[in-house]
Amino acid sequence: MKAFDEIDPVAAAVYFVSVMLVGMFISAPMIQLFSLLGAAAFCLIGGRGEIKSDLGFYIPMFIMIALINPLFSHNGVTPLFFLNGNPVTLEAVIYGIVLAVMMTGILLWCRNFTKVMTSDKLLYIMGRAVPALSLTVSMALRFVPMFKRQMKKVSAAQKGMGLYSSKSYTDRIRGALRVFAAMVSWSLENAMETSCAMKARGYGLKGRTNFAIFRFTLRDCIFTVTTLLLLAAVIGGYALGYIDFYYYPRISAADINAGSAAVYVSFAVMAFLPFMIEVKEALKWKYFVSKI
Amino acid sequence: MKKDILAIFAIVLIIAVIINGTEIQSVEEYYLTHIDDITPESETVTISIRCDAVLDNYDDLDENLRSEEFVPPDGEILPPTEYVLRDGDSVFDILDRAVRHDRIQMEYQGADKNKFGSVYIQGINYLYEFSCGPLSGWLYKVNGQFPNYGCSEYEPKDGDVIEWVYTCDLGKDAGCGWLQGRQGE
Repeated sequence: MKAFDEIDPVAAAVYFVSVMLVGMFISAPMIQLFSLLGAAAFCLIGGRGEIKSDLGFYIPMFIMIALINPLFSHNGVTPLFFLNGNPVTLEAVIYGIVLAVMMTGILLWCRNFTKVMTSDKLLYIMGRAVPALSLTVSMALRFVPMFKRQMKKVSAAQKGMGLYSSKSYTDRIRGALRVFAAMVSWSLENAMETSCAMKARGYGLKGRTNFAIFRFTLRDCIFTVTTLLLLAAVIGGYALGYIDFYYYPRISAADINAGSAAVYVSFAVMAFLPFMIEVKEALKWKYFVSKI
Repeated sequence: MKKDILAIFAIVLIIAVIINGTEIQSVEEYYLTHIDDITPESETVTISIRCDAVLDNYDDLDENLRSEEFVPPDGEILPPTEYVLRDGDSVFDILDRAVRHDRIQMEYQGADKNKFGSVYIQGINYLYEFSCGPLSGWLYKVNGQFPNYGCSEYEPKDGDVIEWVYTCDLGKDAGCGWLQGRQGE
C-alpha cells in the first residue's frame, strides 16, 4: 500500500483539484517548473505506472508542443528567422517550451489522479449527491486502462489466428486498425452493460445505503487545511501581482522579491506534498524494519 | 516489406513538398528591402502610422504593452514619410515596404486566409487587435477618408496621404462612421 492511497478521498480530491487549478491557470515559469517536477516525483516514488516506457510518449509530445507554438504565434521582439514572411521569435519559442512543461505537468497530475482516485473513491465522494454523473466519471476514468487491457487480449487473439503477423509495418498498422474497430463496438457494449448492471442493483435509488471504509481522520484534516492554506497563499500572491509574468511582446524580467519568493515556496511545498508524505512513510517503514 | 518501402516513399514525398513550400529567411534578408529613390518624375505617396487612441484609453491597454517601447508617448509609430508608388501598388504593399524599411514589427492575415479576400492587419509594433479593449484594431485613411475596401484591394494614386490609425472603439474615436452604418455623412 502506498501512503497517499490511504488519505481520505475528499482530502485527496481537494489536493488534486487545487494543484491542477494552479498548474493550469498560472503560467509563471517557476510555477510550471515546480508543477512538472512535483508530478514527476510523485509518479516515480509511487511507482505509479511505467514512467520509463512512457517517456517515449511524453518527450515527443513535449517537443511537438514546443515547436508548434512559434509556427503559429509571431508576436515577440526578437525574431530569430523568417518563415514565409512571418517571424519565428525567441519569445514564442520560450512560451512554447513553457506550454509544453505545463501540458506535461498536467498530464502527469491527471495520471497520478487516476492512480490514486480509484472508482470506489470517486463513487464515495459524489455517489450520493450526483449518482449518474459520478458513475459516468468513474467509467470514463477507468475506460482507457480497460481499453488497453482488452486491446492486448484482442490483438493476441488475432495473432493466435495468424492474422497480420508479418514484420511489415504497414501490415501491423492495418492489424491495429482492425483491432481498434473491434474495440470500439466492444467498449460501447461494455458501457451499456455496466450501466444496466448498476441499474439492476438499484444504484442511485432513494433509500439505498452505501458502505465505505473511509474515515476522515485528524491526519486528513491537517492535510486538507495545509493544502487550502498553501492554495490561498498562491492565489493571494497571484491576485496581488507578485508573480506577474509576461511572455509577449518582451519577456518580463524575473522579479524575485520577498512576496514572489513566498508564493514560489508555497507552491513548491504544495506540489511536493504527496512526495514528502511518501518519503516520510517509507522512512518510517525502514525504521521499524530496522528495529525488528 | 515492399509496402513499407512505399509508405516511407510517401512520407518522404510529403516532407519534401512541405519543405519546398517554405521559405526561410534570416532577419537581415527579411528587412533588406529595396526602396526606390525619389526622383522628380516618380509618383509618391505619404504614409504614417499613429496610435493616439491608445493614449486616450491607456487603462484598457494590456498590461504587458504599457511601456514607451510599444506605445510612443506622442502616439507616432511612423512619422509621415514619402515612398515611391510603384505600378499596381496597394495600400498593403506600401505599408509592408514601409515597415520593413523602418524595421517596425507587423503581422497580417493573408488575403487567402479570410473570406473577405483581402489582407487584414492584425498588429503593428506589437499593438494587436483587441490589445486595447474588445473594439480595438487597425484602420487606414486615404486623404482623410476611410475607404470601405481591404488594404490590399485599394490602389492609391500619386500624392495620396495614407494614415494608419489605431482605434479602441470600432473606428468611432478615429472619426470613421461606416462601421456604424453612417457612410457618407
